[in-house]
Amino acid sequence: MKRISTSKLATAAAALTLVAPMASAEGNLALYNWGEYINPEVIEKFSEEFDVEVTLDTYSTNEELLARLQAGATGYDLVWPSVHMHDIMQKTGLLQPSGVNKMPGFENIDPGSIRSKEDPNAEYCLPYAWGAVGIFYNKELIPELTSWQQFFDYAKENPGRVTMLDDLRETIGVGLIMNGNSVNSTDKDEIAAAEQFILEQKPNIGAFRYDILPLVTSGDMAASHWYVGAVLNANQNPDLLGFVVPEEGATMYQEDICLLASAPNPDNAKLFMQFMMRPDISALNTERLTNGSVNTAAIELLPEELKGHPAVNPPADVRAKLQIFDDLGKDLKLYTRSWDRIKTN
Amino acid sequence: MTSSDTILKRKRRSLILLLAPFTVMLSVFFLVPLGIMMVYSFLEPGLYGGVEWNWYPYNYGRIIGWPLNDYEEFEPIYLKIFLNSLQIAIMTVIGTFVICYPAAFWVSRMQGAKKNLALFMITLPFFANLLVRIYAWLLLLRPTGFFNTVLQSAGLIIEPLDLLFTNFSVIIGMVYILTPFMFLPIYANVEKLDYSMVRASQDLGANPLQTFRRVILPLTAPGIIGGSVIVFIPALGNFIVPSFLGGSKVQMTGNLIERSFLQSRDWPFGAALALLIMASVVVLVVFQLSRQAKAEARGVS
Repeated sequence: MKRISTSKLATAAAALTLVAPMASAEGNLALYNWGEYINPEVIEKFSEEFDVEVTLDTYSTNEELLARLQAGATGYDLVWPSVHMHDIMQKTGLLQPSGVNKMPGFENIDPGSIRSKEDPNAEYCLPYAWGAVGIFYNKELIPELTSWQQFFDYAKENPGRVTMLDDLRETIGVGLIMNGNSVNSTDKDEIAAAEQFILEQKPNIGAFRYDILPLVTSGDMAASHWYVGAVLNANQNPDLLGFVVPEEGATMYQEDICLLASAPNPDNAKLFMQFMMRPDISALNTERLTNGSVNTAAIELLPEELKGHPAVNPPADVRAKLQIFDDLGKDLKLYTRSWDRIKTN
Repeated sequence: MTSSDTILKRKRRSLILLLAPFTVMLSVFFLVPLGIMMVYSFLEPGLYGGVEWNWYPYNYGRIIGWPLNDYEEFEPIYLKIFLNSLQIAIMTVIGTFVICYPAAFWVSRMQGAKKNLALFMITLPFFANLLVRIYAWLLLLRPTGFFNTVLQSAGLIIEPLDLLFTNFSVIIGMVYILTPFMFLPIYANVEKLDYSMVRASQDLGANPLQTFRRVILPLTAPGIIGGSVIVFIPALGNFIVPSFLGGSKVQMTGNLIERSFLQSRDWPFGAALALLIMASVVVLVVFQLSRQAKAEARGVS
């Protein structure tokens, strides 16, 4: 989801991984998270305070996480699936209840962030962070960008200078949004219309790609469909870079922290979930991720550039236009086929 | 009699021992996965990846048009993707050949240390990570990259050219990474080229073109064919270059297979695609080799 290519975190993660996974069983915790999706300082603090050896492995897609666990990977305690993958994992018996909703600190969690259909009372997983998927753009080329329409108009005049995500749900989702439909539509005609929309834009789109931060920064690309994590870059260079949630609406993602059924250290895992609910810890994490926070007490502690950022902490009218992906089950086929055609034609 | 028997037996035993590790490795790491893939390609896709153990030949129907059920439709795009991949792979073979053939002659004429240095330089790229090398091409080809900047400051172009994220950039990337695979077999062949044959043809009055066509080309053909096969097969299945340098807009079968296993959660379809491609490659190669064998047999007689 948030693929920031700086290697600081990776190095920290590697260092953490090296720390004796063989130590005594009660003092371990194994995390399996997206790359670059937790502030390493949070892990350090937890490790010091509770004297627990923490290891961190990373994956880059929900499907990779699911595939590894289905193939029998064990040894991990906590995972960070997106909400629809949380549902799938719970349905397929990969998770165990953590009782996080009974833990102290849960009152800080925004009830609106408990989005799982399988887990409506948060008995299993803890909401972690959320964010909009919008447009990251270079202000030298586009001084102010506000909408998808403007994005596609710019692409029409400057073919090849914008990118969209190489993700079938996200990119077909933009087509659905442009036609005013739900991003979870299973209506054949609506999906066909979205496919048609993206196909019409395709000649003007430079690439379907995740790794675009350096290209937009250098001006090779003017604007890119990307995650709110890009605000970290935009805030470091606010005169050059911007991130916007388009007027027409956008998709959003949210990840939950889930306890695996096969967790070797469930007690430390629960301790970690409780630790993550502390407002100061949650805020420390959000500063690094530049994501939407699920912790109402932590939002107050955020620096103004994040608390006041319309993409990181959007006002209610913008929030209302954000849609989250549901698990579509067998109907995912409609999207994969549509995506095959978009990619080929 | 008895002694020769034991020698024969001993020889056979040592042969079996020598071949055993290779046979075991090949069967465990190649035949078993291939068998799993073959079985999976006839099963129903599981809802969340994996397979349901139901007979389901329709994965093939989507690709080749038969058999089909209510849920699986024939999509000619899969054949289109295959043809596009075939085209890119053939262009890659041609590109690497054009670069390597003259270079092989040049290197083979070098002396001692210089020759070793040249050979070392050709294998040198293998020491750097593949992704890093492909990424370097991204930096060279992008609108503010090296080529466009040079062309623009030379006044040859005004607007930057669209070099990146095209079929062209994919072929460049492929040619770049696969050049050594074409070079080495050709070089091995060219190096032992018997120049007395070349001189003989000249003595007998052949012009340079005739000498090349009737003598040099046939003598180096095994190297060319070997190199072409070794370049063609990985080029056809490559999915890293099209996703990096093609911006995922250029789609090859490798990308489609990767996506089937991950994003689409349709393992049987991915397996069916992979098997069909493998089958067509095997047919192509066998056809080529049998033609070559026939040609050689004719040449000898």
